[in-house]
Amino acid sequence: MGVLSSNLKPSFLGLLKFLNNMNWFIVFFSLINISVCIYEDQIGKFDWRQTYVGRIKFAQFDTVSTAKKIIVATEENVLAALNLKTGQVVWRHVFETASTGNIQLLHVGEKVTTVTGSNPYLVRGWDSNTGVLIWEWSLTVQNDLTEYSQWWVQNNMLVHVLPVFGSHIEVTMYNLLTGSNRGASSMLPAIWTNERCILTAPHYTCISGPLESQLLLSIDVTSNAVKIISKPLTDYVDIQQTVSVNLRPLGGNSIIPGFVLGNDKIVFIRDNNFEKSKVQLGDKSASATVVDGANGHILVQTWMDDVTGFTLTADSVSTGKEVTDIYCSDKTLNIPKPELLAVMCTRTSREQNACRLLINAADDAVHLMQQGGRALWAREEALSRARAVEFVELPVSDTDAALESEFDQKEGSVWSAFARRLLTQYQQLQNLIRSLQGESAVQKTPSSLVRDYFNLHRIIVIVTDAGKIFGIDNLSGEILWRRYEAGLSAQSASVFTRRSARTPPHHAHLSVVATQRDTGNGFILSLNPITGELIDEGKLILNVRLLQCMMLHVPDSEKLHALVLLDEKENVLVLPSSAAPLVEDVYMYVAEKDTAKVQGYSLRFDGKGVRAQRTWAARLGGAGAARVAATATRSRLEHVRAPGRALADRSVLYKYSNPNLVLFVVERLDPLYKEEVVAVALDVVSGALAGAAAHRRARALPLAAHADNCFVYLYRSEKHRRLELATMELYEGKERWLEPGVPFSSLESNQVPIVEHQAFILPATPTAAAFTITERSLTDRHVLLGLSSGAVVELPWAYLEARRDESLPVAAPELPLPADATLNYNRTLQRVSALHAAPAGLESTSLVLVTGLDLFYTRVAPSKTFDLLKDDFDYYLITIVLSALIVATYSTKYFASRKMLKQAWK
Amino acid sequence: MKMFTIIFFSINVLQNAICLDYDGWLNIKVEHTLNCKYEEYCARGSISLKSIRTGIPVIDQINFNDGHINELKIAKVDGIYALRTLVSTAESKDVEIISFVRAKRFLESGLSDIIRAWVLPNGEVIALSLQVANTSQPKNIEYKSSEYKLNSTFYIRHVDPAPLPDTASYIQKLEREKEAREKGELKDNRSFLAKYWMYIVPIAIFVMISGAANPEPAAQAAR
Repeated sequence: MGVLSSNLKPSFLGLLKFLNNMNWFIVFFSLINISVCIYEDQIGKFDWRQTYVGRIKFAQFDTVSTAKKIIVATEENVLAALNLKTGQVVWRHVFETASTGNIQLLHVGEKVTTVTGSNPYLVRGWDSNTGVLIWEWSLTVQNDLTEYSQWWVQNNMLVHVLPVFGSHIEVTMYNLLTGSNRGASSMLPAIWTNERCILTAPHYTCISGPLESQLLLSIDVTSNAVKIISKPLTDYVDIQQTVSVNLRPLGGNSIIPGFVLGNDKIVFIRDNNFEKSKVQLGDKSASATVVDGANGHILVQTWMDDVTGFTLTADSVSTGKEVTDIYCSDKTLNIPKPELLAVMCTRTSREQNACRLLINAADDAVHLMQQGGRALWAREEALSRARAVEFVELPVSDTDAALESEFDQKEGSVWSAFARRLLTQYQQLQNLIRSLQGESAVQKTPSSLVRDYFNLHRIIVIVTDAGKIFGIDNLSGEILWRRYEAGLSAQSASVFTRRSARTPPHHAHLSVVATQRDTGNGFILSLNPITGELIDEGKLILNVRLLQCMMLHVPDSEKLHALVLLDEKENVLVLPSSAAPLVEDVYMYVAEKDTAKVQGYSLRFDGKGVRAQRTWAARLGGAGAARVAATATRSRLEHVRAPGRALADRSVLYKYSNPNLVLFVVERLDPLYKEEVVAVALDVVSGALAGAAAHRRARALPLAAHADNCFVYLYRSEKHRRLELATMELYEGKERWLEPGVPFSSLESNQVPIVEHQAFILPATPTAAAFTITERSLTDRHVLLGLSSGAVVELPWAYLEARRDESLPVAAPELPLPADATLNYNRTLQRVSALHAAPAGLESTSLVLVTGLDLFYTRVAPSKTFDLLKDDFDYYLITIVLSALIVATYSTKYFASRKMLKQAWK
Repeated sequence: MKMFTIIFFSINVLQNAICLDYDGWLNIKVEHTLNCKYEEYCARGSISLKSIRTGIPVIDQINFNDGHINELKIAKVDGIYALRTLVSTAESKDVEIISFVRAKRFLESGLSDIIRAWVLPNGEVIALSLQVANTSQPKNIEYKSSEYKLNSTFYIRHVDPAPLPDTASYIQKLEREKEAREKGELKDNRSFLAKYWMYIVPIAIFVMISGAANPEPAAQAAR
């Protein structure tokens, strides 16, 4: 025993030692953070991305897999899985935007099944955990009227119902996995089918017959024997109502086939018979569904009205009794037109219902609720369709405002100014003491929305297609406020910051000029962009359509810039009307998109009102058929400070920097060359043409951008079958036309600028284009391109310059798109629709927001951050070096004097 | 003979510079708003070109009388003088294009204006810009006689076909580089100093500094 232990002892100790060493290795290696790319630590530091899926069309709870999810299919043709607990996207597939990507059916069983497209259809199966495609087969229906097709899945069979109105219903079943047909399509006689039909799987239900004796008919399309249920409609609804009785199926994947008839009747189909529900619909607009509850089937309803607010009710189907633990009525909840997408209830140990309700709203928001109406999470899907974007500056802090007001005061004596100065300095001292005591954090929290030193902190106001307006913090991406306007259509919305927050005591003022959804008339919304509250005129609905709108360049006495609106009768409206006398020398242009006819107006105040006079007209496409594919104007935020550019031979080439230029990209049909793209730089004040270019055999893309004297636009060359990017630059020449400091006037000049052209091949498909903007336009200019691959690339203007120095080497005709020029690194952005840039307070920096299906915010520095210290700037090192140098200086001084003394004694 | 070929060649170059698909005529009816009786616009004259390619216009305009001048003076405050033109070519007829100048500037210039017509490669006019000519005359011309002659200048401007991506010259450049590589690297025929000055200068400076620092201890040692 002793021998054994003595033999084992060293090896055991060795093992321990070895393990000990290993342990240290593990500790050591765990300290090293493995990085797989450069600047990995900066991911998400200056940028954020929010992923969206669009307005949800179908949704089902995935109860099969372990990680609980909601599978959704949306109107944006996206299939996605949302985390049940947080609402975040687990996986997402973005299909084509065209009808081929349209999702017709979503079925969640063991696997997720979708039917997409419209004849041919694609049937696909997806793994619900990972979103991986498992199977796919295509299907072509030999019928022309496939738009009324209905689909559902039953017993692992895909059922396709195709009604042929007035004759029969075609029902075909396919094996879900393979697509093999179970037999030929069966034709069910249904001579009564008309357009008031719905599918309440597996029944096909219609209202038919002459007005006085309408019948309610239903047919089970999957049964082998044809059984038609037919009842007079008057059995269910009052005779008065039958004229246009409303028929709609129960929503949210109801487990019993049923439908809503008229305003308040619910009818189920059971054992081949109609069965009136014991419970009536709570409201005309209520959305209802049947789910499996703790004690049998329950009918869940939800609606929103002015009296009770958001209401959620549940009743037992068999007894008609109310299930009280689900009921909710909340006036504070604002969910316009709620619609049950999916409901799932489970039984808890105490025979109670634990429900999850996914509710869609008219503002495209989707809410997940618990029983009792407690909201778990909400997703603002309206942001997937942003239309107009504005960066709004934040107000200065109170102390800064006090300081500024000190200099604003013009009246008052010297003594009052002195007293004010003393007061503000006392306040500053107080603040200093408070901050020294560590109370600064307390002071900051209530008003953290104040301007920072570099003016990098903004509020991004986004107007969306759904009519919802958001205010988003640009640093965190957090939604600060939201406002839903049901009547607002943002198709052609523009946003104007009419008063910035820089002018205390006045608050900031932002106006959205849009159209009313039903009539197309003007709809103007004025709000405070910091809080989202309506101010001044608030909501204003005009009774006329608008042609053009603009913001007046001069502010009125309250520092508010007036809105000038031109309506279709060529009348002018000025908001506020008190600013009408300020309308002097104002010009507007209107471009007809479909004819390429452009007109200019001169606006003048004639003592009573503002009158618009048509001053010029041009046909940019000639007399033939033409359309405006894109227009590009200079950003309101751009101020150009550099009048020229230095050439290689040290001479200066002066830019033709006309702020009134607009680039029109016109596509016209030429009998000889088929399509032709004409790019025209037009001075919209005088109607004079500054430069133009024609591209033969090309199709225009709706992408163009303009800044200073630079123009960029894209087109598809039909001859070479590729995408090309063309640039245009305007120059005055080596001599300046105007003396420095003389303001430019479109009407005074009679010279024509030199136009330089250049074209490049773009090896990618762009979907959006924009210029970066900086405070004073001294920094280099970059072109931002959003690509269909999901990248946003930054192209230096130096690559694209239309004017080429002869001394420089020939540039590559194909534009390089290096991977490190991608702004959004590996964060793919789906369907980039627009790029918005705004200048920051720092000259080097431009703020960029990318909209599309996703939102992405970042900041770019085209000439690198020359006015900013680097993030990894070593403050400690420089302090140590400095102090060491000072110490060394003084000590050497001391030693030197001692040495001198000693030498003197010698 | 040589002269002739040069002339012929230069004409050819000119024709290439003006990028028109085929030549055609152009007729522009010019109307204005001055001194009209009933209509909004009345005739001021016409500009016609037999050939767009040559660009030589025949301008036929009325003379202004006191009525015209008075109306212009009324509009002088800050009004505009608008010109409506109806453009006809072989392809299209009476395409309406409107342009304007400030009435005040028009009066100051002694009724002289510049009309520029922008023509597409197929001969269609897309825009007309009316501008007041820069004149050396004093600003306050007195209009005393009964008839005033209009002094119009007409130019044709062509919308140029935009350049294509410059693939040919780039390929040439690549080929040239390839040839150069095949021949072997180009011989660097700069002088030794020109080539290596950046190494020599620091050494020289270093030597000079150390040379300047050394003599002092040497002098001390001598004492």
